[in-house]
Amino acid sequence: MLFHTWPFVLFFLIVYPIYLALKETKLRLPWLLAASYIFYAWFNPLYLILLLYATSLDYIVVLMMEKWGRKKVWLSISIANSLALLGFFKYAGFVTDNLNVLLSSLEISYTLPAPGIILPIGISFYIFQSMSYTIDYYRGNIEREKSFITYATFVSFFPRLVAGPIERARNLLPQLHMRPKFSRQDITDGFSLFIVGFFKKVALADYLALYVDKIYAAPDKFQSPALILATFLFGWQIYFDFSGYTDMARGVARTMGFNLTLNFNNPYLATGLGDFWSRWHISLSSWFKDYVYIPLGGNRREKFNTYKNMFLTMVISGLWHGAAWTFVIWGVVHALGRVMTRQLERTTFYKEKVPKLVKQLLVFTFVTFAWIFFRAESFSDAWIIVTRIFSSGFANPYCPVLALALIFVVWLYQFAHESRIGWVLDLATVRITIVVLMVLYLIIFASSSEQAFIYEQF
Amino acid sequence: MKVIEKTNKASFSSNNIRLSGYEWLIVGIICSVLFFLGPTLWERLEQFNPEADYRLPSELSNDYWLYKKYSRWACSRYETLVIGDSVIHGPHVSKYDTLPHHLNEIAGSNQFANMGVDGVHPVALAGLLKYYGRDISGKNVILYLNTLWMSSSKLDLNIEKEFHFYHPRLAPQFMPNIPCYKDSYSRRISSVAERYMPFFSWSSHLRIAYFDNMDMPTWTMEHPYENPLKAITLELPTSENNTQKEFVPRTQKRTAKEDFQWVEPATSLQWSFFRQTIELLKARNNTVFVLVGPFNEHIMEDISRTVYQKMKSEIELWLQQNTIAYYTPPVLPRDFYHDASHPSSQGYAMLARQLFENQSFKLSILKAEPQQ
Repeated sequence: MLFHTWPFVLFFLIVYPIYLALKETKLRLPWLLAASYIFYAWFNPLYLILLLYATSLDYIVVLMMEKWGRKKVWLSISIANSLALLGFFKYAGFVTDNLNVLLSSLEISYTLPAPGIILPIGISFYIFQSMSYTIDYYRGNIEREKSFITYATFVSFFPRLVAGPIERARNLLPQLHMRPKFSRQDITDGFSLFIVGFFKKVALADYLALYVDKIYAAPDKFQSPALILATFLFGWQIYFDFSGYTDMARGVARTMGFNLTLNFNNPYLATGLGDFWSRWHISLSSWFKDYVYIPLGGNRREKFNTYKNMFLTMVISGLWHGAAWTFVIWGVVHALGRVMTRQLERTTFYKEKVPKLVKQLLVFTFVTFAWIFFRAESFSDAWIIVTRIFSSGFANPYCPVLALALIFVVWLYQFAHESRIGWVLDLATVRITIVVLMVLYLIIFASSSEQAFIYEQF
Repeated sequence: MKVIEKTNKASFSSNNIRLSGYEWLIVGIICSVLFFLGPTLWERLEQFNPEADYRLPSELSNDYWLYKKYSRWACSRYETLVIGDSVIHGPHVSKYDTLPHHLNEIAGSNQFANMGVDGVHPVALAGLLKYYGRDISGKNVILYLNTLWMSSSKLDLNIEKEFHFYHPRLAPQFMPNIPCYKDSYSRRISSVAERYMPFFSWSSHLRIAYFDNMDMPTWTMEHPYENPLKAITLELPTSENNTQKEFVPRTQKRTAKEDFQWVEPATSLQWSFFRQTIELLKARNNTVFVLVGPFNEHIMEDISRTVYQKMKSEIELWLQQNTIAYYTPPVLPRDFYHDASHPSSQGYAMLARQLFENQSFKLSILKAEPQQ
């Protein structure tokens, strides 16, 4: 069930009034849990088994930690289980393919059979969320959640189940415990977030996908301008797609009185790669920082170790996104970029002498270049794109001007928002006009999209 | 000007379009006004001046908003509406060779409106008239039954395997179940919303009429350097002799003898919807006259023809039992067919003459005095 489709509208029209009716009763969380499971089962009822298993195991593990001690053992069981689930459902095909390549290169005629496993939607998100709970309990940062219903709702809360934000127990569990006290402003804020997210997904991301998909499906047939524009558009497509999803998720949660983490904060206005990662997929970046980078040693020892930890974290983050070498390379590219620019970004010259717009342009160019590896179907495709960008001709790209114009308008809006004239965007007439135009554009012109979100597959 | 409160602004959203309840109310009012007035205003703005022998342009066959507008126009000017699929529309002949044209010619005045729509099989026709043909009331209606839609379980839409038939937006989306219809729930709900909210069918009209049956984003992919707003010319395509020589469904393109697997009326989905259409039109105080065929029997195997005759008899029996005026014309000469069901120009002329000679037609449509 996707936020931008009619079934979700009907689902929410049923779930929400009942939630409001039950919000002061003990049935509030069971209802939320039931709704979340129905929401997830809509994709495939079998997924529920996995979700229930992952939830139950971590709940029991933390219970065991509290009752029997030997926390390290139980934590190891929890982490091993989570990684095994991810490994089996997400990386089995990848590992098999690579082993087969290895066997073939060793001239061994045996071929491992393809596992043929369907990747359960959102598995990386809820597994990471559940992992953070056990690790935080192990570290003594949180109390054990006593109610299974509350814990299961924490793991499966439907607005964020499929593609995040990856919530921490210390943020979401207290909200689940409290009787919701939400004002009219919460509801209207929820609508505001939802409509913006809806617009980003349907009017922008799915539109840009039309061009990007065409070019990336056969990169050897296109020349430099088309490849550059497709890569540029993909940078915006993935931003609109994922931040649109997050906005809708946060909007839906807000109407029910929950505050989910801010996941995107105008990332393409970042002035450094460090800044970019503090604005892009914030909940994942902070997860990797807390549970990978810091346990590896963070920046506590000499510089080499800091860079090594940073590099490893970025590469693992790349692999988290998908089971393919292209994602690993994407992580490596970002890791190299981050390692090479960390010192530069700290210099007075970079901070004060380089104009902000130039810094933003440089970061955007680098990030966009890295997207080539993220989006390409294979490494060979990515290589074709990179080489053809620099070596092919300048044939007409036939890229819709309207798509570019829409991106420019969004960029201008974000730029103005962070500039001194940002107050203009706060004027009621401006905001009302923008929302009316968005609604009309969506109803009249946008495609009747049913395209899934890019990040669902992770 | 009111400025939104700064509290918690940073954590709200990076895009920061945040409206208060009062402001949402204003948005709701503005959108509602446009929602309800937009289509009405558009009707006045858009040029729509159908000439004699007008028929909906083939490329606008899926434009149900326009069909509604056309049916309203036709009801105000014509005595009799000739309703049916492409056999009535006449995609293979000029607009001066269609059945309604020949009927008008014999009548000596413009009495018969061509309300044929390409590909509108009985299941779709029932939806078309139910939701977009509400203005058709108190009129004479010649309702054409193309038995081709009963010539196989597939065309009868009575197979479990998914089949992409014409006009799925007009078919029942949930109940009753069309076994071969497997569209997503989202698309089904969209189709239902379009039926009840004119704004949605109007926005479909914009796509179909001005963006070559595409949504605007897809259209800009094919016209990357054009201004989409300039495409909205407010001028609709005309139906001027737009014959579709190449538009021949595979099933009809046969010349060799064919063993049609006729579906019995008792189990036929198409026939049951056709009956519903008759009931609907009667309930709206229309005088209904059913024209059955003539199907091209020259291309049938003998065994197929026998089954067909039996099926036709059962259809006739039902029409008689329900006191529906009808005519089952004899098969036309072999050369008077374009394919399995579409007559040629001469075929249409002959059919029109036969109709005018038919007693039932004279009584119900021409309102002639019964012969003693």
